[in-house]
Amino acid sequence: MNILVINAGSSSVKYQLIDTSNEVALAKGNIARIGMSASVLTHKPHDRDEIKVSAEILDHIIAIEYIISILMSKNHGVIKDISEIHAVGHRFVHGGEKFSGSTLINKDMMKEFRNLIELAPLHNPHNIRGINACMKKLPNVPMVAVFDTAFHSGMPPHAYIYGLPFIMYKKYGIRRYGFHGTSHRYVSDIAAEQIGKPITDLKIITAHLGNGASITAVDNGVSVDTSMGFTPLEGLLMGTRSGDLDPAIILHIMAREELTLHEANTLLNKHSGLAGISGISSDMQDIITAVDENNFNASLAMETYCYRVKKYIGGYAAAMGGVDALVFTAGVGENSSRIRQMTCDNLDYMGISLDEAKNNDANGKLTDISSTNATVKTFVIPTNEELVIARDTKEIVEAM
Amino acid sequence: MAKANIIIIGAGVMGQGLAEAISGSGHDVMLIDKTTKLAERGIKGITESIDHEIERWGLTKSDKRAILARIHPSSDLSQVEDAEIILEAIPDDLKKKKKLFEQLDSLCNTNALLITNTSTLSISEIAAVTDRPEKVIGMHFLNPVTKIPLVEFVKGLKTDDETFNKAVQFAELLDKQFITVNEYPGFVTTRIIVPMLNEAMHILMEGVASAKDIDKAMKLGFGFNVGPLTLADMMGLDVVMSWMENLLTELVEHKYNPCPILRKLVRSGNLGVKTGKGFFVYDSEGNKIEENNVNSVKVN
Repeated sequence: MNILVINAGSSSVKYQLIDTSNEVALAKGNIARIGMSASVLTHKPHDRDEIKVSAEILDHIIAIEYIISILMSKNHGVIKDISEIHAVGHRFVHGGEKFSGSTLINKDMMKEFRNLIELAPLHNPHNIRGINACMKKLPNVPMVAVFDTAFHSGMPPHAYIYGLPFIMYKKYGIRRYGFHGTSHRYVSDIAAEQIGKPITDLKIITAHLGNGASITAVDNGVSVDTSMGFTPLEGLLMGTRSGDLDPAIILHIMAREELTLHEANTLLNKHSGLAGISGISSDMQDIITAVDENNFNASLAMETYCYRVKKYIGGYAAAMGGVDALVFTAGVGENSSRIRQMTCDNLDYMGISLDEAKNNDANGKLTDISSTNATVKTFVIPTNEELVIARDTKEIVEAM
Repeated sequence: MAKANIIIIGAGVMGQGLAEAISGSGHDVMLIDKTTKLAERGIKGITESIDHEIERWGLTKSDKRAILARIHPSSDLSQVEDAEIILEAIPDDLKKKKKLFEQLDSLCNTNALLITNTSTLSISEIAAVTDRPEKVIGMHFLNPVTKIPLVEFVKGLKTDDETFNKAVQFAELLDKQFITVNEYPGFVTTRIIVPMLNEAMHILMEGVASAKDIDKAMKLGFGFNVGPLTLADMMGLDVVMSWMENLLTELVEHKYNPCPILRKLVRSGNLGVKTGKGFFVYDSEGNKIEENNVNSVKVN
């Protein structure tokens, strides 16, 4: 079965066409700068070179049109006819409490999706736009939504409730939802496979360290706690997001700088994190380069970043009553041995210790980087959210 | 250059704010003024506004690049012929607006939505110079457009429902909430705020309190974000006076007579933030640097 996986953002659409019989991505790519003067389509067929095409792509509908036509194109395509797209799997950021697993999309569902916009105003509208565009261009193809929040739906109430008046939860659904669920689920499954034990017998901590970053405690295969909360702003320090802070700080800054809600929101989401502390960049590679040039703020940003991850590892080990495996994944987690080393430094007492050579050699590859005397297995596992979306889509479509 | 479906005519403060708001919502927009120089001055104003917002944490440098990339300055009015939405934002002068709408009527395609952004003038009178008054609607945006969530819809006598509905969609695209008003001079917002500003000026002139204290009273006493005299300086004292005069002409009531202190400031070229002096003194970036510029003004 060929499944088109779509991840629609505000001005971008990422896609993969996955053949589920062998789980090979026949082609992958993305369209950036939708709605701007020069959009760029990057497309990579599995057996040929990557190409880049500039075009005027005004909205998501036109973007999906382009994706379908390049998938079928003579020179760069991987299918001959539109009928070879058998199903579409959509990444959907926020499923609220309503969606605890992936689901087939129908008209009634779209209404539910729209109701969820209030919970994720920055992400869900774009996901909905992507679904609408696909429905228009592929009207008879079954579609499935896979939610970032679903994997965390098994969290116990004491992990998801905030210390606010309970009425806030009842009235506005204010609770921890967690994000990156698809990635945490995928890498925890692979870790269990690597250890050779059923995931239901394991306590795993998964650190998804990308531009957005979150860390999850997976106890017996269930996410029992995760660092992102009501929105993807909470928890770890990120590229441009602050992560955890005293909520009174926001009120204080708003009063002192006479900020509007919008300005305060942008301050926390786009001007903070690594970029905010370093004043250099939101990209960890740039930070590390600056650290090597003895830049004080870059060093502070990097140390704060790793310290925050380390604190969560300790916290989640305590929450689960132990830990069997620690996983690093996503951009920074997969590719920065420095960050992994600094994060795991001095954790020998709890059984976490890295083999320096293995760690240095692991970038981008599935590797066990633990030292021989470690009692906790530490892995680098490249994440593959698209594959999870394709697998879920296949399972649901086949059961139709 | 990418053709824009949305075109703004008038690259002054209002036109700049509209262009920034439309582009900020992800749409290409053309900003037309009489000369290329004026249109480009509009872009400069938008750039300054974005820079100010970056300083206030509200936007990022990449937002700036994206917003500016979608705004296309031009001095060629004939560009309107293929556009779907044309927004007029030239000064609130009935003669000028009528002349422009005559031109738009001959240039625009028949389905285009024609919007006039006026604070006090009659939509019906502006629409009457066209052969399609049903396609003309007033949308009164407030300055700064990117921050004020309100727009007043003003239906002319002949504005049809289709036009109104299109205008509602346009407002939603900009994430604005709206109220609908029947055509009447000053609508709701201008009709209430302008006499209040005028009254604040009378209080100052009569020596009841200092400018600083008048503003403080309304901010702390009634929860205004900005005091009335600062607000007048921000709006532009010439603009406030033209609104007063329009209301006075239309409604012929003494309460709309501009306060002498306002006339005096406008005559002397002290127009508020944009000239650096009004009721207060401002630096080149519009920050207030001195309170009570006109404390000494006495009108006997």
